[in-house]
Amino acid sequence: MSVRLGARGVSRAFGAVRANQGVDVEVRAGTVHAVVGENGAGKTTLMRILYGLDQPDSGTVVIGDRPVRLRGAADGIANGIGLVPQELAMIGSLTLLENLVLGAEPRRGVRIDWARARAEAEELASDVGVELPWTAVADTVSISVRQQTEILRALRRGADVLILDEPTAALAPAQVDDLLRLLRELRDAGRTVVFISHKVDEVLAVADEITVMRGGKVITTRRADAVDRAELIELIVGEHVRTTGFVPSAVIGDEVLTVDGDVALSVRAGEIVGVAGIAGSGQDELVERVVGLRPAGGRITLSGKDITALAVDRRRAAGLGYISGERRAEGLSMDASLADNAIAGTHRAIGRRGWLAPSKVRRYAKRVLDSYSVRYGRLTAAARTLSGGNQQRVVIGRELDRAPALLVAAGPTRGVDVLGMAYIHDQLRALRDNGSGVLLVSEQLDELLELSDRIVVLHGGRVAGELPGGPESRTAVGALMLGRKAS
Amino acid sequence: MITGILTSALLLWTPLAIAAMGGLLHRVGGVVNIGLEGQMLVGALIGALVSGATGNWALGVLAAGAAGGVVGLLMSLCVTRLGANEIIAGLGFTIVLSGLIGYLLRSVFDVSGTLRVTGLDPLPRVLGLDPLFLLAVVLVPVIAWSLRNTAAGLRLRATGDGFDAATALGIPANGIRDIAGTIAGMLAGIAGSHLVLGQVGLFNEDMVAGRGFIALAAFYFGRARPLPTALACLLFAVFDATQARLQTSGVPAQLIQTLPYLVVIAVLTATAVRDARGKSRRAG
Amino acid sequence: MSVFQGSNPGKYSRALTRVVRAAVPFVIALGLGGIVLLATGHNPLAFYQLLVREAFGGVDRIAATLSAATPLLFTGLATAIAFRAGVFNVGVEGGFVFGGLIAATVALQAGLLAGMVAGALAGVLVSALPGWLKARWNVDEVVTTLMVNFVVAGVTGWLVTTFLQAKGVANSATALIPQGSWLPDLLPPYGLTAGVLVALALVVLYAVWIKHSVLGYELRQTGLNPRFSAAQGIRVGRVIMVSMLISGAIAGLGGAVHALGVVHRFVDGFSPGYGFTGIAVALLGRNSAVGVALGAVLFGALASAGTTAQLFSDIPLDIVDVLSGTVMIFAVVRLWRQR
Repeated sequence: MSVRLGARGVSRAFGAVRANQGVDVEVRAGTVHAVVGENGAGKTTLMRILYGLDQPDSGTVVIGDRPVRLRGAADGIANGIGLVPQELAMIGSLTLLENLVLGAEPRRGVRIDWARARAEAEELASDVGVELPWTAVADTVSISVRQQTEILRALRRGADVLILDEPTAALAPAQVDDLLRLLRELRDAGRTVVFISHKVDEVLAVADEITVMRGGKVITTRRADAVDRAELIELIVGEHVRTTGFVPSAVIGDEVLTVDGDVALSVRAGEIVGVAGIAGSGQDELVERVVGLRPAGGRITLSGKDITALAVDRRRAAGLGYISGERRAEGLSMDASLADNAIAGTHRAIGRRGWLAPSKVRRYAKRVLDSYSVRYGRLTAAARTLSGGNQQRVVIGRELDRAPALLVAAGPTRGVDVLGMAYIHDQLRALRDNGSGVLLVSEQLDELLELSDRIVVLHGGRVAGELPGGPESRTAVGALMLGRKAS
Repeated sequence: MITGILTSALLLWTPLAIAAMGGLLHRVGGVVNIGLEGQMLVGALIGALVSGATGNWALGVLAAGAAGGVVGLLMSLCVTRLGANEIIAGLGFTIVLSGLIGYLLRSVFDVSGTLRVTGLDPLPRVLGLDPLFLLAVVLVPVIAWSLRNTAAGLRLRATGDGFDAATALGIPANGIRDIAGTIAGMLAGIAGSHLVLGQVGLFNEDMVAGRGFIALAAFYFGRARPLPTALACLLFAVFDATQARLQTSGVPAQLIQTLPYLVVIAVLTATAVRDARGKSRRAG
Repeated sequence: MSVFQGSNPGKYSRALTRVVRAAVPFVIALGLGGIVLLATGHNPLAFYQLLVREAFGGVDRIAATLSAATPLLFTGLATAIAFRAGVFNVGVEGGFVFGGLIAATVALQAGLLAGMVAGALAGVLVSALPGWLKARWNVDEVVTTLMVNFVVAGVTGWLVTTFLQAKGVANSATALIPQGSWLPDLLPPYGLTAGVLVALALVVLYAVWIKHSVLGYELRQTGLNPRFSAAQGIRVGRVIMVSMLISGAIAGLGGAVHALGVVHRFVDGFSPGYGFTGIAVALLGRNSAVGVALGAVLFGALASAGTTAQLFSDIPLDIVDVLSGTVMIFAVVRLWRQR
């Protein structure tokens, strides 16, 4: 089989960051080729170069064995390459059909030929074996449906190479299975798929060949059947990863959190309660109700005190901590200084008679950042200037330093590399061992199984069941997530 | 009295509707055009001058549209290429244009505020209706249909709702916004020329008198849909026609003039309350 | 770039960039104004020299400039406080006008101090509704505050002609306030009143308060990222409301100072767009106290010099609108790539 798409010695730097260094990749026609690596390994930069959205500083893109220069996305499309980005390029207020044809509308005179558009859409969909609600507005359908529309859009534009950037990040396990099936079908129909991921199991399930990237370089390319899971993880991370494994809590005390209503659960002191469920099963609502960002029906108590009617600040004063799942939008204020980020939520306690003494603010912020080993230059620097892992340490430090009676941790390791993840897991366990309760919401089943003393599974906005933590619960939790009874 | 009000309401409706259609297109493309007021004023002056110089109303209207279009394009370029804030750019352009026109009136034409253009050719009327009224009537369905059924309309909607996504699909979103801004300026310019050529017969620096902002109010009221926007213009035109007649009977005109603005606040509030009930995340 | 950005003074190099960046809109405006002047047969350099001389050439001219800057200090500051909280308040004009009317009316009966307080309260009244709508229901404040300006214009016009019209005055105006209730002159006979001291005191207070108070902190955080702020327990709605009320109070107080210090009554055309120029002042000053002060003085200089320059040349005052409108447009543009 010939090389359909590739890179030869591609390097690309953004300021001091060398995103790609001498990258060589060969994607053979008619295969599913996975590119794996941690966040920041350079995968997305490489894909943008292969598609023509970005140009290499040196080296060249290869198409069908011949070096080419792609000046923009239009060149990529002209060469039969389609990109399905992580942030889907869908217009929320347009229908799926309108989204499908946008930019390449079939016309009759000045008007769009909607009948032909519809026929093309149906044909594309049946070719790859999906069915889509074409007249539905994009905002009202699931991410998985939008993603399928996006794939069809690339195919409609004549792509026979599809690049998918972290396509499974926001999908439920069952939807992931559907997507992987779709990718295999595309391959069997003769198309080429480049699949970017950091999830080892998905990669092993679907890929023919696997390229591992780390620190902007290609570490190796292997056939998928010539590498096992443990080896692949080690290749990705670059060292043997120490895993603590499941360590259940030694001492469990009284209830620190009780929630009534559609989702009823409790968290006791010295306990991590995991919340599992496919995306959109009611996790966000639960978190926002407990934190106080959403008006709540039902009763919520914190350390025995009814907090149902309290605003966020009063709940925090009563011993609540919150690690937001959306670090850049909610966990941190990216344009505010590190000091201002560090004192947020504690600023009223630091203030005296309505005024914040600068020296006191500095001392407090410095202590928090130093004790959670945040690497930073100046306290007045904006949070944006830190790396992702360091940013998350600021959040962890701010919330844990207050020794909350209950910590709500939503996706605490999202976008954090494996070593940073281990650090955060240790911190959560330490908090628990000091007698706090933790409500852990995560889309990573492994994380939930490893950390939680109990796992509450949500399905369709309700509690589907509860299971003990630990690796043995994997199948049972997975079944409950899909709404099936645990056997 | 009722037919009298209706006739003058239709006359007052024409410039409002034309300008509002321009603002609507710009809004659909994702830009709130606060510069309509200044663009109308430019259209009024240029329309008067060219109509007077050529003795031809059609050339006056075309020149007004062209002048408005140039101003609209410049304003749009400030927003799309230089990153100016659209509200600030709109207010700023209106201030600059009214200043410039006042300056020219005083220094070049040597008049203070009011300019009588000799040989001015007013719009012809057939059965009391002028050609720009017909233009307004035609624009409403044409724009509604084009937004749904043409590639330009689809791309304009896409640009307005998902600028980055549209760009990622290779749609020149900034260029589309510039075109929409130019069309908005053209329509506002034409609307301004109606004030001179279709209504008053002379130019005054205060003659737009907030109509650009009423047009803005109208497409907010109509939530950027052509027919509701046109009907909002009609409602505001009726207010206007009524207050001119009620003035003599002691009803305070100044208060009636505030009605369009109050209506817009009420509509925005109703919309926001509905949105807030839909998704229940609270601000604080 | 966001108009809600705050200042973060410190490094000299950054201060220099800031000055250059603030100078660019003026350079563009002078260039554009120069073209207009040239095209109409005037010498721009001579005119600009005249402007500078009329703005700063002598104690009397400086006093006139500061006097013209006074209303802009109020409206610029009122705008900056709202912008800093992320609230795009373009309704300062309405607060200024209504504050002026109420202050002029109350001062007739109850004297200077009562007039000032009433003016501030009137401004609060104007900003309260859009503020509440934004805080409670997230109603787009740009449009509501813009609309409120027109509503205020109509209501004040009606109030004056119906209830408050002075006898024997041709245009619509309230009665002249007795001299005992005027703001005292600082430098007689130059017409610079104690109002400028009130304005400068507020600017200084703002500088300290926004940086070092708990509420100032919450206001800044709300402006930078309301979602973050809400999640950390800042009551975003309340902060927005407070910022709008303070903004309205300052706008209304500005109107009161203008009525009690300069006009001595309320008349048609009381404000030649001070509220809108205030937006330009706040933008140019990047919502910082120092920036607002400098911006107000610059625009004040333009206005005062333009008025007298009109007497010495046949160049209409309208040229000043061209200049200040251009500064407003270009105050926030991105003329070179940032970051």
